[in-house]
Amino acid sequence: MRIVIVGGGIAAVYIANTLMESAPESEIVIVSDEKHPPYDRIHLCKLVEDCTCVDSIELELHPKVKLELDQKIISIDPAQKRVFSEHAAFHYDKLIIATGSVPKTLFDISGIKNAATFRSQKDCEAIAKGMVGKNVIIVGAGPIALELLDTLMRSDAPQSITLLVRKNYLYSEVISREGLELIRGIFEADSRVSIRFGDQIVDKEVEGNVITKVLTKQGEIDNPFIIFGVGIDPNIPYARDLLECDKGILVNERMRTSDENIYCVGEAAQLREGGFIAGRVKECTIQADVAIANLLGTESKIFKEEVSIDGLKVGSFLFADVTATDFNPKDSENETILITHGDRIDQYIVNNDRLKRFIGINTNIDLLALKRLIETDAPIDAAYLYSNRLMSEYGKLVCSCEGVHELELVDIIRENAVTSFAELKEHSKAGRTCGRCKQDICAIISATPVDPAEAARLKQEKLDAAAAAELAKVRARIDKYNTLHPKNQLNPENFHEALESFEMSREFNRWVSMITASMHLHPQFEGVVEEGVTQLNKIPIIWLELSDCTGNSEAFIKTSHPKVDDLILKYISLDYHELLMAASGDQSESALESILHNDSGKYVLIVEGAVPLGMDGKFLRIGPKGETGVDLLRRVAKNAAAVIAVGSCAYDGGVVAAAPNPTGAVGVAEALDRSDIINLPGCPTNPINIVGTLLQYIMFDEFPKLDSKNRPEWAYGFRVHDNCERRGHYDADEFVREWGDEGAKKGWCLFEMGCKGPYADLNCSLVKFNEGTSWPVQAGHGCFGCGQGKIAFDQYANNRKLPEGENEH
Amino acid sequence: MSTKKIVIDPITRIEGHLRIEVEIDENNVVTEAWASGQLFRGIETILKGRDPRDSGLIAQRICGVCTNVHYRASISAVEAAYGIEIPHNAEIIRNLVTLSLFVQDHIVHYYHLHSLDFVDITSALSADCAQAAEDAQIWCEHPYRNSDGHLEAIKEKLEGFVKAGRLGLFANGYWGHETYRLSPEENLVHMNHYLEALRIQRELSKAVAIFAGKTPHPQNLVVGGVTSVADMLNPQRLNDFLFIIKETRDFIERAYIPDMLMIVNAYRDSIKAGEGRAVGNFMCCGGYRAGKEQQLFENGVIKGHNFENIAPFDSSKITEEASRSWYENDAPLSPYEGETTPFYTDLNEDGSLKTEGKYTWIKAPRYEGEVMEVGPLARMIVGYIKNSPVIRPYMERFMKRSHMELIDFSTTIGRNAARAVEAQICCDYLFDTMSDLIENIKYYDETTWTKYVFEELPSEARGAGIFEVPRGVLGHFVRIEDAKIANYQAVVPTTWNASPKGAKEGRGAYEESLIGIKLADPSAPLEVLRAVHSFDPCLACAVHVIDATGKELAHYKVASECML
Repeated sequence: MRIVIVGGGIAAVYIANTLMESAPESEIVIVSDEKHPPYDRIHLCKLVEDCTCVDSIELELHPKVKLELDQKIISIDPAQKRVFSEHAAFHYDKLIIATGSVPKTLFDISGIKNAATFRSQKDCEAIAKGMVGKNVIIVGAGPIALELLDTLMRSDAPQSITLLVRKNYLYSEVISREGLELIRGIFEADSRVSIRFGDQIVDKEVEGNVITKVLTKQGEIDNPFIIFGVGIDPNIPYARDLLECDKGILVNERMRTSDENIYCVGEAAQLREGGFIAGRVKECTIQADVAIANLLGTESKIFKEEVSIDGLKVGSFLFADVTATDFNPKDSENETILITHGDRIDQYIVNNDRLKRFIGINTNIDLLALKRLIETDAPIDAAYLYSNRLMSEYGKLVCSCEGVHELELVDIIRENAVTSFAELKEHSKAGRTCGRCKQDICAIISATPVDPAEAARLKQEKLDAAAAAELAKVRARIDKYNTLHPKNQLNPENFHEALESFEMSREFNRWVSMITASMHLHPQFEGVVEEGVTQLNKIPIIWLELSDCTGNSEAFIKTSHPKVDDLILKYISLDYHELLMAASGDQSESALESILHNDSGKYVLIVEGAVPLGMDGKFLRIGPKGETGVDLLRRVAKNAAAVIAVGSCAYDGGVVAAAPNPTGAVGVAEALDRSDIINLPGCPTNPINIVGTLLQYIMFDEFPKLDSKNRPEWAYGFRVHDNCERRGHYDADEFVREWGDEGAKKGWCLFEMGCKGPYADLNCSLVKFNEGTSWPVQAGHGCFGCGQGKIAFDQYANNRKLPEGENEH
Repeated sequence: MSTKKIVIDPITRIEGHLRIEVEIDENNVVTEAWASGQLFRGIETILKGRDPRDSGLIAQRICGVCTNVHYRASISAVEAAYGIEIPHNAEIIRNLVTLSLFVQDHIVHYYHLHSLDFVDITSALSADCAQAAEDAQIWCEHPYRNSDGHLEAIKEKLEGFVKAGRLGLFANGYWGHETYRLSPEENLVHMNHYLEALRIQRELSKAVAIFAGKTPHPQNLVVGGVTSVADMLNPQRLNDFLFIIKETRDFIERAYIPDMLMIVNAYRDSIKAGEGRAVGNFMCCGGYRAGKEQQLFENGVIKGHNFENIAPFDSSKITEEASRSWYENDAPLSPYEGETTPFYTDLNEDGSLKTEGKYTWIKAPRYEGEVMEVGPLARMIVGYIKNSPVIRPYMERFMKRSHMELIDFSTTIGRNAARAVEAQICCDYLFDTMSDLIENIKYYDETTWTKYVFEELPSEARGAGIFEVPRGVLGHFVRIEDAKIANYQAVVPTTWNASPKGAKEGRGAYEESLIGIKLADPSAPLEVLRAVHSFDPCLACAVHVIDATGKELAHYKVASECML
């Protein structure tokens, strides 16, 4: 898939990098109208001080992302899926718009030498050059204007700096008088600076392309240099006629525009319900995640605005701002609670006893605690705020995007012996979302001495503590099971007796070790795994076979470690799995009914086979009354504690749903219209993956961590290709070119013979089949991604390489 | 006459691919039967329009038990259509895999899916171990793992199982049924082998995986040959394979065959009464060559138990019809032209079969318009009559030791005996096949694939892959047009044996074998189970016995495997 991203800012880069991670086969192109590779606008001020340092704020971009610079988009053709710049056309399968906004000005400044906005590297260059010896006028009062003011104050170049403020506040209309005075005092300590409230430009004198004089309500300023910081408009002229727009491009909660292949995030996007997010990088990345999930179809995420935390470091003071999503500055019921101490001002805005906003200057309040306070919507009273300083035990919040506090950072730095910002990357995401706090973090790193030996010791201590806690949890879990299932037919001693009778204790021990390793648990869990196995029989399990070939049951009972698995399965499913039951006079129908009735909410349902929905489900009839497969499934799934879909057919219909899907077959999740079905696709599923999943359920009272397709990560988190025994040959360009050739005899890579290992995520190459005897690649055939579901049978089940452009899944 | 309408319904709530309904008279003798498949998946429809080279991976999903044979038959059908001859090595590798599957399938079928119809585990608990060790020697000079000490240990284990509670392996509710004939000692000897067979069958799965990558659903074939050339050239892999087969042969000779002799002896009256005998039409397609002259199975067709008159097998005489099956177009058609368009006429309101009209998803395959029985029984009879040097000596030896005549094999017990003899033959034949391979490699023939250029192959062609597989004759029929599959039909062994009635009256083999069986106790119809089981039905099914008023008297599970 070719995904084009329009825009050259933090959002574009974040989207591109995230896509490279979640869909590495995609082709990703960034089209930007700037001459420079994407850089971090948060640190634009640095450029005013030194225009040449644009490299230092350049954003890290995945090397495989294609970058098209100096391409200003002028139009889109949604029907042909193309975007046009003045010089080129770009084809896309999916388009993401992240063009952000353009700054507003009060009059047209094009062609004028001594007026600028503050948005791009070019602007910074103009400001740095133009302000020398001038009377600089900054129009605006918001965060950007203040930050710019702070920056210019540090330079000797301007003769004077005037901040023209149309109204009578700085930063925000709700800021307290005390806060305002504090800030004003700090700025005006510089004799060049004057802040003029209630003032605005009314006229100007222009000679050629230079403004020689500015007339304001309160006076006039000669020899000016004017910078506008008065607000922004979405940058979307190219899209106005092609997509549904209001002020911005209208998007739904999935960040999709009126065209199904076009998404829009960031300041260019206007949510149909909710409006804009402006200047908030964290929210922007959340929007990007939502857009990516929906665009790739991996997840149906929706965007919901969160309580925002903002920070602003200006000269010698520090702003912190926490705002509820429903904060309304005009609401007459807003009350302010102010707590001041020296140059520290904590301003709480409360509405009907609910905290709605916090503005702190030089504060040490735990902003995350405030965020939680707002989110829980709990009533608060002033006394509470006075008496509880809500100080974080981890010191002040350094990175508000990722919620990392100072002392947490210090711990991370010490434990991992971090000595630079680059080294911090693998341990924490702090400082890497909006980047605003990067300098602060660098300062903390250089102020924290590290000792590698001590670091190793601290790390081990922490790991040990975590492992011990988990172990205790597992034991508690097993005890709980012991009391939960009193009607269990077999106690652990008897289980061992049974094991003995098969002379398999030794084999059993080996098997336990193997399962432990396969599940990526520490060896110290072996004992617990063994206990877990002996508890398996205590969960009632129903194994339904629907439109299937019995392959998964066969694999499960016959091939891999059948002695042990056989036993286990018989223990857990004695009355509920037909294939495993020898001729029996037991009433298995009433056995099923009795589980449904007596163990309602406790039993685990395993389903093998697709669910045919065609012809009202009558392609499969079960039971003397001829109940259809889908009706039976619904009935049994209704009160199951968990439903596990085993095999590719149960996952999404598999081979049974391959084109033209003659019986209208679907997977279990779709048939039940549920999103909590655990999928173990494979054709057949390796028994280890079934047993491991059940064991985890028993030991941890929860199913293993699942990926976006509800598959356990420990089994499906690997690409077959990455762990393939023939991978070395792929890297060395040694390929089988023809069946039975010299390469085939030597076991070279099968990619050229249509091996789909690169498109398959499963642990086959690690665990193999039939007790590790072999697997398709070892047999020289290659993988066809049987665990990918029906797509495998429509696109992968052949011995040819995929045609270009069809390699995504 | 007071005919009792009994429905023997093999469907449980949990799964039910086969259903059988029968009528019994006042003496509890079965007078009519209907066999019905209850699932349609449409794999043949899915294959239409695909690249012929890709049929194997889809077709093998027809069944997770006989998976290798569908894979092979499908690819062979395409090779036949294009006239591609595969290299000798490739054929050998394919045979090694298929024949290992024969042996595994037969052992699992007898011990794990069927033997508990004859062996009473509770009775084994009262066995005298020393006596059991001695009794075992009646059937074999050196019985498999037969010391008193070992049997003592087995008995203790069984006691452990019973104490442990409901172990699925032994969850047979009919212990003590009057038709259990073995002595406690004989039951113990059988159970000893039951446990050993668990290990043997697992080893055989590994043998299959050595050349096939994995099982079920192997992945080692392509049109033109096999891919597992590296395994073929690895002496360690060949040695591992042979070692497993050697161990298996020992088990068959010292356990499986003697146990079968024991069963024949115990149920001689049932054999002589012809219990479970079907129409007596047998069909084999032959196959599996080793060396230049030799082949494992003979081809031939016998009708009405007329052993004097054997006709050569001719695949063009096969038709399939659907007058009683849930498909459109009732007329008999050649499999090349066969249609698979569903036409479902539903069940009765109460869920029973509409026995007057269409009642199953299984089509009715016919040979010269007649019902056929396929499987080990057919192969052993045809091989014996045609004096096959591979088959006849083994059959003669077994007949001599068991005092059976040829007609005696056409019974419930006889089918099992034929299967045991076949397992022994296949196992020995694997050594011949392996020698062939080693000989070939020794003379520097390492070819495993016949080169062809797909684009240069004819765009229109038709071909069939017809094989003897564990449960009988399997045929895959493919017709190619515009270099795509235009039509595909698989006629599987269970389709032959579990066939419904056709337009002409005439029951399928399952149906026919049930007629005349007298049930000792209609609420515990062990005799019906035995008959159905003896075919090794390739589907997992269960049997319910319900009386005419719908009151359920009992139900059975017939644990076995797959179907189309």
